[in-house]
Amino acid sequence: MSLMDSILAGLSLVGNFEAFFALFAGVAIGTIAGAIPGMSATMAVALTLPFTFSMQPIIAILLLLGVYKGGIFGGSIPAILIKTPGTPASSATVLDGYPLAEKGQAGKALGMALWASCTADLISNLALILFAGWLASFALNFGPPEFFTLILFSLTIIAGVSGASLLRGALSAMLGLLLATVGLDLVYGTNRFTFGDPSMMGGLNFIAVLIGLFAIPEVLAMVWDPKPHKGQTRGLGDDKVTFAEYRRCFKSIVRGSFIGVFLGSIPGIGAAPSAFLSYSEARRKSPNRDNFGKGELEGVAASEAGNNGVAGATLIPLLALGVPGDVITAIIIGAFMVHGLQPGPMMFILNVDIIYGLFIGLIVSSVFLFFIGSVAIRGFKYVADIPRGVLFPGVLVLCVYGVFAVNNNIFDVGVMFVMGWVGFVMLRNDIPAAPFLIAFILGPLLEDNFRQAMLMSGSSPAILFRGPITWFFWGLTVLTVIAIIRAGIRATRTLKRRA
Amino acid sequence: MQNLHRQTLIGLFAVVAGLFLMIVAIPNWVSSPSNVRNIILSPVFWPYTLSALTIVIGLGLTVTGHFSSEDMSQEKAEVPGGYGRLAIMAVVMVIYMFGLPRLGMVWTSMLAFVATAFLVRTSHPRTAVICALCVPLILYGFFAHVASVAIPQGNFVRLP
Repeated sequence: MSLMDSILAGLSLVGNFEAFFALFAGVAIGTIAGAIPGMSATMAVALTLPFTFSMQPIIAILLLLGVYKGGIFGGSIPAILIKTPGTPASSATVLDGYPLAEKGQAGKALGMALWASCTADLISNLALILFAGWLASFALNFGPPEFFTLILFSLTIIAGVSGASLLRGALSAMLGLLLATVGLDLVYGTNRFTFGDPSMMGGLNFIAVLIGLFAIPEVLAMVWDPKPHKGQTRGLGDDKVTFAEYRRCFKSIVRGSFIGVFLGSIPGIGAAPSAFLSYSEARRKSPNRDNFGKGELEGVAASEAGNNGVAGATLIPLLALGVPGDVITAIIIGAFMVHGLQPGPMMFILNVDIIYGLFIGLIVSSVFLFFIGSVAIRGFKYVADIPRGVLFPGVLVLCVYGVFAVNNNIFDVGVMFVMGWVGFVMLRNDIPAAPFLIAFILGPLLEDNFRQAMLMSGSSPAILFRGPITWFFWGLTVLTVIAIIRAGIRATRTLKRRA
Repeated sequence: MQNLHRQTLIGLFAVVAGLFLMIVAIPNWVSSPSNVRNIILSPVFWPYTLSALTIVIGLGLTVTGHFSSEDMSQEKAEVPGGYGRLAIMAVVMVIYMFGLPRLGMVWTSMLAFVATAFLVRTSHPRTAVICALCVPLILYGFFAHVASVAIPQGNFVRLP
């Protein structure tokens, strides 16, 4: 199939009102959810997922991608107006966004956030289109040993960078891998931790686990410490961002976008570190560096470019290798699976129309984001006023309906509640939940590839070192562990010096 | 015990959990065919490997926790009445779960909504009650009539 044929096949899938409406609705839902303090983009995507079960695969995935993109931008609105980042990715935006709002220039800050977000989003989408196909064609050479080492590397980096401690991240990943063993054995079909219950033979439901881990702990945290958000909403002011200001910040926006693309394409790093790195690079290179932290427009532009630059790039490992780069893409991989699709190199051959349909949809989403973002900035007052005492009970009820809808099974609701408590305990003990979820998803794949490799080699572990690709991933894994341990030792020394 | 660093406690938990899996859970609740010649291909190999790694990580956490000066942020965040509210929430969840097939999802959700709203001390009780009535009904409308999900109706009042 030529490139033009692939584009036309994609266009035939998404060139209809339903697809564009789903994308538009997704961006709108994401922007609103991201703007509500206490909701995160992750929670928004997780809660939208059950509504997509009855949709066509492409419509469902476009809706979720819209929520993802809208959610990342939406988080910047409360970050600037009430000094409360709507999503962790917007934490860096607070640094200069809120001081600008205090000066009565919130409208300018939000305008710049929107321009930077849309530009970075577009660059990130183009990077996805350029690199995903190339990576997928390379990954077609992968066999079970290569996939095993790739997944091992992904889990190592996710465990290492998701939280404050490599060991706590590794424990979280290990618990996720252990939970993934529940169900029938992949080769022999014998029971593993099923206790004779037919509901457990297919393994624990992925959506129950993810909603339990990422939505219910927020409800429990609110029960533990019920407090309304205390931020004071600032007015937008009369100032609007000008083209000259956008041009002045353009270099930082492009640099931030590339930082986002680079960090986003590495599994596990996510949007928040990218935003902070982009911000610190902009401060280092800017002639106005002294003004950073006091209300510098370039600081807002850099942070927003950094976090939005990640959005398209996290889909590169997802689509090309079938490995989710962060929690949101882990949820999106769940959506693919629910609709009978398996992301990975083979998808570029078997479902090329869906791939190109997604590419077209992603490009259009940047345009939607611009228009919806402009309206959302003005309508934020109403979103910020949603009382948390009504929002969280609503989230609980939504979770129950959503999880039940997956298999029409009350057992899944019980799994969600149990996972909610597990997630809450992890939250209270600074154990990151992201490695748990990603390990839970990748666990069967890791085991399956390991056992296939062992079958191929007659149980000789030498096959796991059979060629340059496996050596490359082993090398990366070792380097990652060394880098994380060194960073940990350095952080401990700094803490001790401060004490 | 109170002098132990939180990380050490997490490590000890991981060691105990790993040992429990290796000694009790895997031998009893993972079945393996008797004709598996190679242990690596056996259904018990992967759980045993993961349990062993959990113990190793647990030991690592225990040791590093002993020397750690990290201030684990949640450690000091004790909230008055927090445990009591969590216990009530656990009861609400159990009742929610068991009420679903008996009372029906819509009615149980309404009750759970109100209970949770008061548990989180909502400052808008009227709005909460109105939402408690509307949200489950709207969700029922979507899932039952648009997504064709068989929402549990319960034994008492059935919805169209």
